[in-house]
Amino acid sequence: MTSSTHNISMTLNGEKTNALVEAHTLLIDFLRDAQNLRGVKRSCDMQICGACTVLVGDHPVSSCTMLAVDADGADVVTIEGLGDRDNLDPVQEAFLEFGALQCGFCTPGMILATKALLFSNPTPSRAEIEHHLSGNICRCTGYQKIIEAVESLAQT
Amino acid sequence: MRKESPPDNNTARADLIDKVTGGAVYASDIRVPRMAHGRILRSAVPHARITRLDVTEASALDGVVTILTGEDMATLAQIHWGLFLNDRPVIAIDKVRYVGEPVALVVAETLEIAEAALDLIDIDYEHLPFVDTAAAAIAPDAPVLHDVHDAIADFYFTGQAKPVAGTNIFQKFGVSTGDATAAECDAAHIFEHTYTFPGVSHFALEPHSVVAAFEGDDLTVWSGAQSPTAVQKVLSRVFGIAVANIRIIVPFVGGGFGGKASVKIEPLVVAAARKAGRPVRVTLTLAESMLTCRRLGATMTLHTSLDKTGKILSKRATILLDGGAYADTGPAVAAKAAHRIIGPYDIANLEIEAKAVYTNTVPGAAFRSIGGPQAVWATESQMDEIADAMGIDPVELRRRNLLPRGGEILDTLRPLDADIGDMIGRADQAIMNLGDGAAAGIAVAATDPGILPLGGALVRVLVDGSIIVMSNSVDIGQGVRTVLREVVAKMLNQNPNSIQIANPDTSTTPFDWGTGASRSTVIMGLAVEDAARDASDQILALASSVFDGAPNDLRLVPGGVAHGDEFLPFQDVYHRAFGVDSGEVVGRAMVTPTRDGSDFKKSPLFWETAVGACDVDVDQEIGTLSVTRYVGVADVGHAINPSGAEGQEEGAAVQGLGHALFERLDYVDGQPVNATPIAYRVPAIGDIAKRAHTVLIENGDGPGPMGAKGMGEGGILPVAPAIANALARRYGIRIRDLPLTPERIWRALRKRGDDAT
Repeated sequence: MTSSTHNISMTLNGEKTNALVEAHTLLIDFLRDAQNLRGVKRSCDMQICGACTVLVGDHPVSSCTMLAVDADGADVVTIEGLGDRDNLDPVQEAFLEFGALQCGFCTPGMILATKALLFSNPTPSRAEIEHHLSGNICRCTGYQKIIEAVESLAQT
Repeated sequence: MRKESPPDNNTARADLIDKVTGGAVYASDIRVPRMAHGRILRSAVPHARITRLDVTEASALDGVVTILTGEDMATLAQIHWGLFLNDRPVIAIDKVRYVGEPVALVVAETLEIAEAALDLIDIDYEHLPFVDTAAAAIAPDAPVLHDVHDAIADFYFTGQAKPVAGTNIFQKFGVSTGDATAAECDAAHIFEHTYTFPGVSHFALEPHSVVAAFEGDDLTVWSGAQSPTAVQKVLSRVFGIAVANIRIIVPFVGGGFGGKASVKIEPLVVAAARKAGRPVRVTLTLAESMLTCRRLGATMTLHTSLDKTGKILSKRATILLDGGAYADTGPAVAAKAAHRIIGPYDIANLEIEAKAVYTNTVPGAAFRSIGGPQAVWATESQMDEIADAMGIDPVELRRRNLLPRGGEILDTLRPLDADIGDMIGRADQAIMNLGDGAAAGIAVAATDPGILPLGGALVRVLVDGSIIVMSNSVDIGQGVRTVLREVVAKMLNQNPNSIQIANPDTSTTPFDWGTGASRSTVIMGLAVEDAARDASDQILALASSVFDGAPNDLRLVPGGVAHGDEFLPFQDVYHRAFGVDSGEVVGRAMVTPTRDGSDFKKSPLFWETAVGACDVDVDQEIGTLSVTRYVGVADVGHAINPSGAEGQEEGAAVQGLGHALFERLDYVDGQPVNATPIAYRVPAIGDIAKRAHTVLIENGDGPGPMGAKGMGEGGILPVAPAIANALARRYGIRIRDLPLTPERIWRALRKRGDDAT
């Protein structure tokens, strides 16, 4: 297997990060394996489940179908960059308060997709929430409490 | 519906916080030193003899460590394994029986190398005739998938499968009471209908993932397994290793729903690690998980007789289940389907036969309420069809036949412990509260979960007052850790935040049968309650020598022991009792069928009951259906974690919605044509009912801690028939095959139109 390698530099969870990656390396593999950011979850590998969602700029992106080299120069945020145990992001806080997660495997992607929604639309309607989160599958919760959590954020 | 204030999730918070920060470690996140990576070559044909399997070129690829094939099986202590029948080889040996069956496992330094090596493996097949439906599998000239049926008794489930020699039938299970034929002679009405329920995918977001590592004779396996002790036992048999030398560790699991119950890819990965001589990790893709297991599809014919008042006199049922290429837990699914097709009704004469058969498709396995959604789909659809034909209101027909609390569905089973009539009333009320009047469709269910009361736990009270609970109940998202923490906190009168729930680990933690069948809240709940009581007794005994008082004068308080106004931290109790500022107290317990104070010899330990009520809206131009209102009612005894319990019901209902409207694993010419995440549709956020409500009934009458019953499966049961009944009520069309696709609805609407003109 031959492949060219590239130097990339990005702002990753607020920190300047330089790395050498192969041209075909997916962003998800770069984040999970090279950067040890395992909060990025791998599920469908085909951009339909949203578990691997990260923020690139203010946009939600499926890291399973984006090349790491294409994130060169970008501002990338994973769930690890959002907030920690002692200083949770309001979205993380809302998911906890409303019990909007069960197994938790979709949760990092769901939270980051919600974050992106609120960047672009701080007061989304239920229809807008549904539209925006339609690319994030949750097989556990039945979505009811996710909607309640996101609506609680829209109220503030 | 928007809530005014968030629910109190204080205890649950401790279990969920790692999941919102990305800190939770799942099976697929496990990495160990010197680990190599495995990828699986899978059969592309449904049924064939392997005539040539050449891995020479692939083995020569730089970075390939080893390649496991059927040739390596000869050195195993036991080549074929199973839970009911030893029918599955660790890897295909001479034959493949379904598209997706593992035929070779490449172990390489990187996943990329392993993947590249797959393309270099040469394989030739001699094709055999195949069957990809259960009906074809029982035809007289059907190819027989397994030459021998090696049924094992009481191995993991109680009882034994009853296969039929020389056929594809691997289980026959009958229920017979009274005399159905005689009853039909007296009947005013007899109805016969056939309903089908397709095989469907678990679609847990985390695919199956296993890391296996040998260290000398000791084997450690990290797996997202719901039944660590079953994995341990099967590995012991297959590899000839003592149970004590096999350690199964289960981190967080990204969804199970039964798809990670019993044993799945663990023997395969362990065989690869043994051959490689170093740790091996195999994480499937989600598409591969869809080729690993699925719910059994079913064809069910009901023959129900009634007197002229609408009292059911008899029910005959035949259930034909598509079990796939290997039996797995299919025999239990058949037995449960036979129970669950009766419904919570008073029927004196029953004649039920369930058969599960091998087909050249993905192996069937446990899935949330085994056999339940299939059986309830048939029974509750037919109740409405009968009501319609007899001109009786569907709820009234049910009321005329419902068993009261304490009634017996079968005299071999525990009497019903819920009031289904009351539950229907509450569903009515709740759906009225959502606006727009009464429900258009309802369905009810009673199922018998909570199997195998066999599970132990340790509760260790450490010197600083922190507490570790050791239990092999697996957190698959159902919130078992929160329940256990609440139970221990209450029993020991300690702050829930001082309690840690350790990961399941068979080397340190007592046996538990497994996580499934809604059993953990009751069985493991009681185990940790008993273990906490044991710890409490020991601590109070220690303290009584310290305080110079009888244990009865002492009580546990947060952080220590109190005697009147005196308070002594655990640390001081231990220090004075042991002579050093150290040590701990270990409470232990094992719940068994003969547990003191429990009546666990009769099955089920409790009934899981459900009522679903809904309304639907159909776009008649294109046949799409949306559920506009949905109410689910469950009798849970006591909700130890109310938000979690509600979430279980909501999640189950939406899985039921997927089964009702979208899901079907499709086969064309033996090929699974939609077994990929992109082609297989599960519910998305916009698919759920815009107005929904869950009612939890809490009478404190369950056998578990604080009067809890198990729960989490019931909510899936009534959804599909409630929707189909609403569709019939609102639009005059009756569909007996799931899923209720736009095409089926559109065709039925067209046919209705044609019939009318």
